[in-house]
Amino acid sequence: MDPTQLEKIGPYTYQISADWRPDMQAPARLLADPDILEAASGDRSLEQLVNTACLPGIVRYALAMPDVHQGYGFPIGGVAATAAPDGIISPGGVGYDINCGVRLLGTHLQTEEVRPHLDELISALYAHCPSGVGKGGAIRLQTRDLRQVLEQGARWALKRGLASESDLERTEGSGCLPEAEAGCVSERALERGRDQVGTLGAGNHFIEIDAVAEVFDARAADRMGLAPDGVVVQIHCGSRGLGHQVCSDYVKRFQKAIHTYGLRLPDRELVCAPLSSPEGREYLAAMTAAANYAFANRQVLTHGIRRSFEQALAGKVSRHSVFQVYDVAHNMARIETHRIEGQPRKLCVHRKGATRAFGPGSPDLPPIYRDIGQPVLVPGSMGTCSWVLRGTEAAMEQTFGSTCHGAGRRLSRRQARKRFKGVKLRQDLERSGIHVRAGSMAGLAEEAPKAYKDVDRVVEVVHGAGIARKVARLIPLAVIKG
Amino acid sequence: MKDTREEGFFEEIEHTADVAIRCGGPDLKALFSNAARGMYLLMGITPAPAGPVEAITVAISAADVEGLLVDWLGELAYRAETGGLVPEQMVFRVLTRTRVEAELRGRRQHGFTRVIKAVTYHDLNVEKTHEGYAATVVFDV
Repeated sequence: MDPTQLEKIGPYTYQISADWRPDMQAPARLLADPDILEAASGDRSLEQLVNTACLPGIVRYALAMPDVHQGYGFPIGGVAATAAPDGIISPGGVGYDINCGVRLLGTHLQTEEVRPHLDELISALYAHCPSGVGKGGAIRLQTRDLRQVLEQGARWALKRGLASESDLERTEGSGCLPEAEAGCVSERALERGRDQVGTLGAGNHFIEIDAVAEVFDARAADRMGLAPDGVVVQIHCGSRGLGHQVCSDYVKRFQKAIHTYGLRLPDRELVCAPLSSPEGREYLAAMTAAANYAFANRQVLTHGIRRSFEQALAGKVSRHSVFQVYDVAHNMARIETHRIEGQPRKLCVHRKGATRAFGPGSPDLPPIYRDIGQPVLVPGSMGTCSWVLRGTEAAMEQTFGSTCHGAGRRLSRRQARKRFKGVKLRQDLERSGIHVRAGSMAGLAEEAPKAYKDVDRVVEVVHGAGIARKVARLIPLAVIKG
Repeated sequence: MKDTREEGFFEEIEHTADVAIRCGGPDLKALFSNAARGMYLLMGITPAPAGPVEAITVAISAADVEGLLVDWLGELAYRAETGGLVPEQMVFRVLTRTRVEAELRGRRQHGFTRVIKAVTYHDLNVEKTHEGYAATVVFDV
């Protein structure tokens, strides 16, 4: 799409009006700077954003965050809210990796204390946090336990001694979303999820040990337990094969539902059903169950990380304990209350490659973060920095309490494989002081830092637009890729 | 890599976030088998070098040919990922626009390098071409 078709309506906001295409139900907005707008015009991101604006019953506008890139159905970085309970819910607005998200763990360690032990630490992490394609973990769940994981999420891990109350409190939705019903998840999805709790998977998922390079908001950073030169850990993964199967099952089922409910859509990957319909209700229950599975997954990985720190650092450093800063989803649909034209309205907010970023005062935040706003975790590409932000009132007003989720791809995986070699990339990263463990060199090449946009630029846009505020910048010390 | 066969073709094509193939052949059987071969290529599947050859029957119904192709590939990806059979031979007993029944013969997978999270409907259109049929399939990875 020609970028001149978008009207600049704010310093970082561009809009395509609702009459640009006859099937649009609302305007489409992109948060960007001129370069990001130019890049988004180079693939099909904007066309997919316009398609998202065609969803029946969409409220206000379809949104794309500045890390937008071409996906399928929704663009990655897309946000769309529909009215509950009469609006629609779309599995394509969540994606196949349901509750793919990021967890940030803090420590009381300084970089120089850990650096001499990084090799040992990363070896322990590699052993305690299974990663790679199709890899199962140490836990094989019987159906009864698996159903508990789906309905209790991270709380299931608490009962098993793999979590603390503080971990749960510092997780979106306390790591246990109440709408979940295991009975809405297919047998095949259950089978795929049986041995994958506590596993990282492959692709762009990772565990990364980082140093806090810079603090921008001392009060918020202090509340989150982040100090300059402190060591933190990020986990990026989701609901594994179980979530993929849930989405596939309901995309298939919704192909019929669009005919049943007379819904017209520009892309079959946008299939949807009314939230109040049996199909819509059951998808919400199954998707939420998969989201709980993902919270449990990141929680069990957290336990593996704690064991790794114990194994590699006990007796060598003063305090090796690991605490949770926050855990947030970036592929999810949630029923939330937002103020629309001054009135509170229940909405189904779809975020596909976008992060919830609730502002100060939100009752959905744990007391510790209620006055500073929700921590927002924005991983960069491997080898570049990541960001900790906080949610704002402006996000509540402008973006249904949403912001960016990462850097956003610039090159296709195929282009990245052609341009970079995994072995050389690992050597380059290690030369710059970043330890790397990866299950596949081809997979590593696909995730090369230069395959992604500049995350700093993305963060400048959301900070400038006011839909999140900078708290701290992280730089990588070691990374594990599946 | 473009694999051109007498019975059609498959090749990986560009997609920013995910991976996609273009595939085709003189008839639906060629399209469905080339789509499967293209997907196995993307998955980096290694069939077991030795061991017994197994045979299974896959039977799927869908409302239209695009849905049938998505479900066919989804079924094969699931079986491959979970250690099941990677067919060296696909014999289609029935293949209409809404029903496929195929006998698959081959060995179990020995390893693979990429998980296909899902076969998507995005831009999926089984086209009638001069040569027969063709389709572009986008996979979430």
